[in-house]
Amino acid sequence: MTLRQSLQATAALCVPVALGFIAAFGIAGSASAQITPSAQDFVNAASDTANWILPHKSYTGNNYTQATQITPANVHNLTLAWKGTVDDTGPMEVSPIIYNGRMYITTAHDHVYALDAATGKPIWSFTDNPHVISFAANRGVALFDGNVYIATLDGHFIALNAETGKKVWDKLTVDDPANSFYTMSPVPYHDPETNQDMIFLGVSDGDWGGNGNMTAYNPKNGDVIWRWDTVPGPGQPGHDTWSGDSWKRGGAAAWGGVTIDTATHTMYLDLGNPSPDFLGSVRKGANLYTDSMVALDISGAKPKLKWYHQFIPNDTHDWDPAMQPVLFTGEVNGQSRKLVAAGDKAGNFWILDAETGKLVDHTAVSFQKGHNTAPTLEGNVACPNTLGGVEYQGGAYDPATNIFYVPSQNECGFWKADKEAVYIAGEFYIAGAFPKLIGPDTGQMNAINVSNGIFAWRHHFNLPNYGGALVTASGLVFSGNLGGNENAFDAKTGNLLWSYDTGGYIQAPTEAFEVNGKEYIVVASGEAGNAKIPELPTDPPRPNSINVFTVP
Amino acid sequence: MPALPSDTSRPVRIIGPAASLVLCLLAWLLVPGTTMAGATAADDHTQAVAALTDVNAAVAELVRADASYVADPKVYHGAAQRAINALAGTHGDGYVASAGSPGDAAGAIGHIDSLLDRSATLVWTGPLQSVEANIRAAVAHLQDAAKARELMDYAGDASRALDYLQVARGRPNETGVFGGLEGVLANTELGIPPGAQQQDACRAPSSAPSYGTHGGYIGWVALPGGNGTHELPEPSGVTSLSVQNGMIVLRTAAAKVVADACAGHAKGDPPDPPATQAAAHAMQTPPAASGGGPPALYTKAQAEAGKQIFDTKCVACHGANLQGTAAPSVAGNDYLVAAQRNGWTLEIMRYIVFDQMPRNAPATLSPTDDADVMAYLLASSCYPAGTKPFPSADDPSFAAIKLGPVPGQHPGQNAKGVCPVN
Repeated sequence: MTLRQSLQATAALCVPVALGFIAAFGIAGSASAQITPSAQDFVNAASDTANWILPHKSYTGNNYTQATQITPANVHNLTLAWKGTVDDTGPMEVSPIIYNGRMYITTAHDHVYALDAATGKPIWSFTDNPHVISFAANRGVALFDGNVYIATLDGHFIALNAETGKKVWDKLTVDDPANSFYTMSPVPYHDPETNQDMIFLGVSDGDWGGNGNMTAYNPKNGDVIWRWDTVPGPGQPGHDTWSGDSWKRGGAAAWGGVTIDTATHTMYLDLGNPSPDFLGSVRKGANLYTDSMVALDISGAKPKLKWYHQFIPNDTHDWDPAMQPVLFTGEVNGQSRKLVAAGDKAGNFWILDAETGKLVDHTAVSFQKGHNTAPTLEGNVACPNTLGGVEYQGGAYDPATNIFYVPSQNECGFWKADKEAVYIAGEFYIAGAFPKLIGPDTGQMNAINVSNGIFAWRHHFNLPNYGGALVTASGLVFSGNLGGNENAFDAKTGNLLWSYDTGGYIQAPTEAFEVNGKEYIVVASGEAGNAKIPELPTDPPRPNSINVFTVP
Repeated sequence: MPALPSDTSRPVRIIGPAASLVLCLLAWLLVPGTTMAGATAADDHTQAVAALTDVNAAVAELVRADASYVADPKVYHGAAQRAINALAGTHGDGYVASAGSPGDAAGAIGHIDSLLDRSATLVWTGPLQSVEANIRAAVAHLQDAAKARELMDYAGDASRALDYLQVARGRPNETGVFGGLEGVLANTELGIPPGAQQQDACRAPSSAPSYGTHGGYIGWVALPGGNGTHELPEPSGVTSLSVQNGMIVLRTAAAKVVADACAGHAKGDPPDPPATQAAAHAMQTPPAASGGGPPALYTKAQAEAGKQIFDTKCVACHGANLQGTAAPSVAGNDYLVAAQRNGWTLEIMRYIVFDQMPRNAPATLSPTDDADVMAYLLASSCYPAGTKPFPSADDPSFAAIKLGPVPGQHPGQNAKGVCPVN
């Protein structure tokens, strides 16, 4: 259960690494003084080039760093600083959390590793290995209040001492552990009105017959402060969008991340697909708030719905908006507007007005087919399949170019629905089978002009491109390709400037951080997991690794 | 001696079977009797027996549907509706003629209402009011069950209804004494069949057969002597009296529960639940092989062939050790414990393998290959090999085979609980 470090001490890197060690003594004092970020640190996360303390950089969800050391001019010199392999199986989907020179990563079976961010040297590790209901995956931890928080595959919410990795508390926080679990990173928040610290966490249970919720927990003990149910119950607005009792196992999991406008105390969530996934006839109606973005007023004791925007009513293909909403101020038709962007697995990219939820622009970013036809008993083809379109790794807006960067995949599927839906505890509640892949399976990096929703540029890959997008203020876009290459593009032109084969399949987002003033790029790679497609070679085995790059 | 046990409004737990038998006998034998009671109309007995028959018919419907393990919701909805019909009767709330009824036209509630429709308060009035309340509660849950969209919802509603029906029918309360319909039939004049001779319970029986009653209670039942078993003519709660070597052995309404529990103890099992649940409990045990162990469901050759298929088609996500990499474990302790906790049957496992896997190309293996993979997974979970291959075609009996850890020592079993397949 240790992270095996394989420091790539190339001649070019010897001196910088040595310098890093010496300088590390300098920050040791401050690191021990403050092992986890303060509430204000989270509010200011967007402008902090050293640390990466929220899954998608800041509360806005925008993977944008103001760091400028790595540029289009020097990116060709970008080299591996260190690479660490982890001894866990399953896909690497983590957003590393980096604070004061320490990096916290997780693996598919809820192992947590605390590392020296500049060298990869292990500090402590924690191993959970819970029962897996369906997908083994974990997307990262939260740092807050002296603790590292992880939410697990068996529905536990666990606080570890950030200094030692020892368990502080461990609580079963899902209602039904047979069908509910966690994959997302918990998100710390301090309510300025009540002075209450909270950690936000949404449950993954939408394809297993549960209903989603977003819950605020007390970081001290895991007690529930409030819970917002994503499927309206009897008497609530929107309940009439579900026929009969279908709302009871309606889905709308809240697994895609938490975006917050700290100025207006508004939480933006993209909510999951309805269930049973492939049989819409047993849940007639629009099925709110599945496949929707919701804006919640979190200034009071309990969240209040400000608006919702449903992307796909009565979805029958598991085409939920997996991407965390990205809040940004962009220029549309010459006017500066507060916008919020989302992508869904149906291959749509959406820009909404952040204040009203009204549609501003829609761009199809994947090959689409069969969008108005539900799966049948005999089966039919629709595209993208459930792993296509825009996935959970996120996108980024660049104020310098007024361009939104988001990857997407072209995959098609042959779908079959069952005659009826039968709930089996601990199994998929989908009333059909997941689609059989129909190739080819390809992907692209899209640069979308926010002014008009038209592509500024697209880069096409012969494999899916799951790696999200990281934009730097210096004009670079980073994204990992499923084939294993970490790529850097010129943000303006889309020219591929740098590429590195990590030796694993990439489906984790890319991040940037600094230690002792030196900028690094990090991305996890490894097994393909559920993203496995026939085009991927099976040999040699792809080790699960953390790849950190810098310009010597 | 206290008056007849009155039903609690909610289900109660059975206490130790031996203790309940003793208390039951005491209750039955020590009923006070100093004054002569007026004879209850024979019609009352008929009504009470008919009510019990209707309740039993409703319970049987639910137990039968539960044992069917079919996936079709109509089966469960139909069972719930027929149970309602037997309880409510043709004039009762919730009766739906098209579903048919295993009961009679009056229904259990109709029979009880006619018993209660009098000005006098009799010793069985209170208990019967409680019986009716419990039946009505069961009907309310059954109405939910009859329109449940999913099996799990149905199961929850139906099991609540069953709990109420058990109380209504009469299962031991915390003092171990039967209440409900069986209680009043065993302990009050309602239990006396038409034409039977009644005597003063304060005195010894002067002739047999006869019933000794006092204050509306039955003090004793006398039967002619002679060795052998003497069946009672009606389901009166007391099912039979055995006269052996001068000793009278009473078979009470609890006799079956006790007998079941004793049988369970003999096998080293935990005490059995009440009789109506015992049937369901029996279904959870896999059909025993000749040696009483878990069933042999596949051949060794199949398991070996299945390993080859698994290693090419499944290993990427489920791992060479079957503990899962990106996907869940599929054999060994983690899998079997989850299977047991979630109530998975062999039918569910078969459905996942045949219809849902591989996840990115479902149902693309041939049925023969799927059967081989099933064999490999069962072998890896330490289920024994046999002579009969795992079938390519579906088998309805699989729905009755619950999965769970296989008892006993297994040679070569690893720390994850996986048995080797070579």
